[in-house]
Amino acid sequence: MSKSNGLYKVIKATVDEVIDESPLIKTFVMTPEEPFRFSTGEFIELTLDGLGEAPFTPSSSPFVTERLEVTIMKTGYITARFHDLKPGEVLGIRGPFGRGYPVERFAGKEVLIVGGGCGLAPIRSLLFTLIEIKDQLKKVVLLYGSKTPTDCIYKPLFAKLNSIDKFETYRSADKPDGTDWDESYGLVTTLLATPRVDLKNAIAVVCGPPIMMKYATLKLVEIGFSDDDIFLSMEKNMSCGLGKCGHCMMGEFFVCKDGPVFTYAEIKHNPEIWK
Amino acid sequence: MPFSGRYVTEMDKAIKISREDWNRMLVQLAEGDGHVFAPVRKNGSFDYEQVTGDNTGSIVYNEARPASPLKIFFLPLRLNVTKSGYATGRTLIIGAPACDIEGLKLLDAIYIDEKFVDETYVSRREKAIIIGTACHKTASHCHCTAYGLNPWPGDGCDISLSAIGDDIILEPLSKKGSAFLKEIAARFQLVEPKTGDLETVSTLRSKSAAEVALSCNGLPGTEETGRLTTAAAPEFWKKQSSKCVSCGACSAICPTCTCFLLIDRPGFEKIKQQDTCQYPAFERVAGGEDPLKELSVRFHNRYMCKYVWKPERFKVLACTGCGRCTDACIAGISKNEVIMEMI
Repeated sequence: MSKSNGLYKVIKATVDEVIDESPLIKTFVMTPEEPFRFSTGEFIELTLDGLGEAPFTPSSSPFVTERLEVTIMKTGYITARFHDLKPGEVLGIRGPFGRGYPVERFAGKEVLIVGGGCGLAPIRSLLFTLIEIKDQLKKVVLLYGSKTPTDCIYKPLFAKLNSIDKFETYRSADKPDGTDWDESYGLVTTLLATPRVDLKNAIAVVCGPPIMMKYATLKLVEIGFSDDDIFLSMEKNMSCGLGKCGHCMMGEFFVCKDGPVFTYAEIKHNPEIWK
Repeated sequence: MPFSGRYVTEMDKAIKISREDWNRMLVQLAEGDGHVFAPVRKNGSFDYEQVTGDNTGSIVYNEARPASPLKIFFLPLRLNVTKSGYATGRTLIIGAPACDIEGLKLLDAIYIDEKFVDETYVSRREKAIIIGTACHKTASHCHCTAYGLNPWPGDGCDISLSAIGDDIILEPLSKKGSAFLKEIAARFQLVEPKTGDLETVSTLRSKSAAEVALSCNGLPGTEETGRLTTAAAPEFWKKQSSKCVSCGACSAICPTCTCFLLIDRPGFEKIKQQDTCQYPAFERVAGGEDPLKELSVRFHNRYMCKYVWKPERFKVLACTGCGRCTDACIAGISKNEVIMEMI
């Protein structure tokens, strides 16, 4: 008589809607077969039956358990297969895994969030959380960079955030592409040149491609953030999610279990940090 | 941690059984509900095989070391972890060397951690009775003593076995080991070993420890190796890895390499398959970024994992000095020669 090993068992989720966010990025809205709970910044393993599995941090609100949203950039074999999904198809979910954002540490603080590309996905979930606890926060500033104006995802989100007390957003596109764009041009780090938070009482969150995270973090340190107040959401090959398979090891850390959210102070010594 | 520590019970003394009775008992157990594995000599080498009525005469006792590491019983090469993978009955594993037994401490730390317990691993650990054997005869690349170990079993296994002449001496090292000795005491005649038997065991152990110590004389300990490994420049690793072909044999036969790949099968089944950081693309992420893209970086990664990261993280040895990686390397790379070149 065989038994299943709970750690590797999926719960099924049906795709309800597929939203085109940009030419390469789609959001999949799904209904899990049972309520799904996670804390913001934790990740899940999403399985395409018989094809493969990949880690994603949900982009939806942790306060909603009957629906889950995952935003996926088409960048490899398995993400291309995800992009072929149609409403009604069934996925598998394992998790949630890892250590998410320690939002309790944000109380009474000004929160500076720097996001790039599809890195806005975990940040959107964080923003939904921060909206819920905004009474405990001083201020939330979102700086977001995309390659072009067309590559900017969650376009309606920015106007919504700007309408909420204590929230401000600033966007930058690396280069123009001929579409309307009222925001600035240049790398997202250029948005850090203007002081927008009180450094004596602020924490920073960075999520995006490794190269963007590297330069944004170095810039944050340069302008006066302490290493302990910069939270990074690391992207590694997180396969099992359990701290066992070894694919996501970064020095002595298993990113899937010890992270994916780390303070810069925790991992700055690691030579693999930006690789 | 489970599975370690010496439990003292009323059956905590060494006992002696004749080889004839021992072999008879192994066959009886093998023909029963459980499984019995022992190292069996075949074509010049020896490795674990199911014990049958035909191979008890070829079982190798007290020699370093079975070709396969002990981990194969707990982390098989391939396992469907959503469908099966649990132990199917008691498994008696005879002939585990001390280096492999020590390696289980790292496996336990990873697979039975504070947050996620791998049920298939636990079931296999719980159902196993590990009968360790001292290495009265050592192998060419053995270097356990350099890492503070002895070439005989201590904690971490259930029974220590010494084959002396026509007799088998069994010393219980755990509660499970004592219970097993009680079980066989009910069916076979066991006697107390003579003082001379125990002296012989002791002499053989000391002799092999001295042999190992001599063969790895000058090899730094694990902590010093960790410091050297961290400090060595990228050029050093490029030179040392120039002959490596990324075959992964060093990891496959390593008693402490535990990494795996999860493969998907229809029906949301997951196959856990042995993997290694020595293979290209081990850490590659979507989009092609790969921290271990270069061969020399992968090669260095293995040394860092063994001597720096895993010991720092789990406070146990991640190289127990079995020397199999050197035996297995088709490029002829000797781990210890690499380490000596760092000095």
